[in-house]
Amino acid sequence: MIESLRSKSKELLENGTVSLVIGYAEGSKKGKTKPFFAYSSEDCDKLTFSPQCVNNLTIYLTRKFTFMKKGKVAIVAKGCDVKTINVLIQENQLKRDDVIILGMSCDGVVGKDIVHDGEQLPDENKSIKCLTCDVKTPIDYDHLFGEEIKSEALEPMTGGIYDAVKEVKAMSWSDRWKYWMDHFERCIKCYACKKVCPLCYCDVCITEKSRPQWIETSAHARGNYAWNIKRAMDLAGRCTFCGECDRSCPAEIPLNIINQELAMTVYDSFENYTAGYQTDVTPPFVSFKEEDKEDFIK
Amino acid sequence: MSVNQLSEDAFYNLIDDLNSKGTTVVAPVRNEVGMVQYEKVTSSKDNFAFDEVIGRYSPKDAFFPQHETVLRYREGENGVEVKAEEPEINDTVLLGIRPCDAAAMISLNKVFTWDYIDNLFTERRKKAVIISIACNEADESCYCTSVGFAPDGKEGSDLLFSKIKGGGYLAEALTDEGETFIANNSTCFSKKDKSVELEPIAEVTDLGVNIEHIKRWLDKKENFEHKVWDDLAAKCVGCGGCTFVCPTCHCFDLVDEPYGDQGKRVKNWDGCQFDHFTLHASGHNPREHQPQRWRNRFHCKFKIYPDRFEKKGCVGCGRCIRVCPVNLDITEAMIEITAMES
Amino acid sequence: MSEEKTEKKEEWKPRLVAYVCNWCTYGGADLAGTSRLTYDTSVRAIKLPCTGRIDPLFIIKAFERGADGVLISGCHPGDCHYNTGNYHARRRWTTFRSLLDFSGIDMRRLHFSWISAAEAGKWVEVINEVSTNLKELGPYKEFKAITEKKEEYDRVFAQ
Repeated sequence: MIESLRSKSKELLENGTVSLVIGYAEGSKKGKTKPFFAYSSEDCDKLTFSPQCVNNLTIYLTRKFTFMKKGKVAIVAKGCDVKTINVLIQENQLKRDDVIILGMSCDGVVGKDIVHDGEQLPDENKSIKCLTCDVKTPIDYDHLFGEEIKSEALEPMTGGIYDAVKEVKAMSWSDRWKYWMDHFERCIKCYACKKVCPLCYCDVCITEKSRPQWIETSAHARGNYAWNIKRAMDLAGRCTFCGECDRSCPAEIPLNIINQELAMTVYDSFENYTAGYQTDVTPPFVSFKEEDKEDFIK
Repeated sequence: MSVNQLSEDAFYNLIDDLNSKGTTVVAPVRNEVGMVQYEKVTSSKDNFAFDEVIGRYSPKDAFFPQHETVLRYREGENGVEVKAEEPEINDTVLLGIRPCDAAAMISLNKVFTWDYIDNLFTERRKKAVIISIACNEADESCYCTSVGFAPDGKEGSDLLFSKIKGGGYLAEALTDEGETFIANNSTCFSKKDKSVELEPIAEVTDLGVNIEHIKRWLDKKENFEHKVWDDLAAKCVGCGGCTFVCPTCHCFDLVDEPYGDQGKRVKNWDGCQFDHFTLHASGHNPREHQPQRWRNRFHCKFKIYPDRFEKKGCVGCGRCIRVCPVNLDITEAMIEITAMES
Repeated sequence: MSEEKTEKKEEWKPRLVAYVCNWCTYGGADLAGTSRLTYDTSVRAIKLPCTGRIDPLFIIKAFERGADGVLISGCHPGDCHYNTGNYHARRRWTTFRSLLDFSGIDMRRLHFSWISAAEAGKWVEVINEVSTNLKELGPYKEFKAITEKKEEYDRVFAQ
């Protein structure tokens, strides 16, 4: 799998199809990999793939990183990462022809703070997103590496993170308030959640708007609440559950839970819409139906 | 300076004693989501984590909180009234921080007393006693020995505790404040036992770097635009994780939080990795791309700090490596630059 | 003592922030005024071009600034001056409302309505109903716990 990935990357770079291959290389510490940019055939020998390849590299395709790209690029992408690519295409941030997807079949990556060596990954060491994964073989790719893995047919919005969402939903509103306040209290406003998100690609973020200061820069309860809610809301109907924000959060705020609550709401309210599976449908928030439900409006 | 001893029980009694005297005790505790943080503790029954390699965040916020009010204002009858905030600063004991974090406090102190004396910082520091516990364990990210510190380093602490085999600590006073502290809490301390044997001190990975060489390399103007910055930091996503967990990062921003005809001016942490950190009002940004911002952070640690404050900017706690979402490892840069210079 | 308390309770008035669209609900409120209809004075109406203009942050900001309740109101479906603004807004609210509920906001304090420029009576009805509810609920103490209090400033400046 790794050998064929390397040789394909070399081929693409050598015949000039792409100028850059975005992939993974061994990290500096045990059980870690890092994003890696291969510009030459020699670089390609450093490319690797394993369950430790947790990053969603599609962030480097967004306009946040245009300074480093020259023309067409190839990207190593797991099934979940391809979903992000689809949203970027859907939102006109990327043209399908500008990217070569080196799809990896993937049976799960390691969870947060878990050091795991070796190929076989037991379920308990997997990231929570992998427990409900239905794209073990990416839905779109130019070249596939590894054996095709058939994803089991899953009941939508059940198991894994969705059970965690339901648990929070079952609380009373005042308990939920306390639950989130306890979590948001720890927020240090490092903004890793937005910076690492491939779908947070605005040139100017609302946090930088100071006339008026929509989101207070202070890391106090009020500022943290506004920030975390606003961030989640802006990803409603767009988040593909790559889990990068949750993984990157130094304060261990369960951002997956809040993101997936929104995904569930969008699924239930707008004709079972889930982000990242199709590029040719209109996203839910730029369209509407006259018969959309409005039972909460007087 | 005196060397004393305290048993495991006495150690926890000390926490209760200090609390009963009204002293604020800050110590490493494991919170409900499993992270270790330096927090105010109120009882010896708290969920302590003195054996954890190091807390997730640095203890700098005991002196330099992430968010604090500097002044308040309101529109009164005779124009705007302004009142400087005078927070009540309690006697504080930082108990069980690591020697690297204690060393970082010296560097921080230097910044906050450089051209302007920051009273909020200095007053808190004056009223605090720093008790560090020597490390018996280090993890892969620790590299204090490579930047001139040690897991049992004495810089910056008032007292250094070292774990005794079988329980308890050896307490070495390093400053007059440390001596006074022992005298004031003499019931908890006893004379040093001659036969006392200490737990072995942690072995910290030696990176084989030379910070003098790194400094020399950084001093050369031609290296400012060196290719290495792009190579290393092109992947940086520009979050503020590394700066916020760093014990020597000290940048802050002053903002007004108005509330009708009144409001406060607050001091919040800021970080050089943010894209708007150097953004000018004109729209020009002298550090336009992320690698330039990361270069600044590296310069700050290994050139600006030594040049301007004659102190080390990096104490090797390894927190920036642990939190980085893209595994941007500062030690890789140190190794590469050392190799280029030697 | 108990008398004093009840007196204080009567004094307290909720702060209801109403974000209304220029073309329908604001017109309805205007009509209520010109028709000399009376309604609860705890409402502060903020006029916006369209419900589509109402950013989710407006709701959070209102609570941050001490609102005890928020009402959002615009044109009935099909009546939008810009044709589709309210349809888009409706989708956004469906989601945002669910998010706020999930984050632990007291949903008895957040209301939505369609009120046309002719429905002065409905405006009066809705405002009165929401205000009465808010009076029963009392101040939104959960959110107020994370916001500034005027007393805090008064104390500082009195020193």
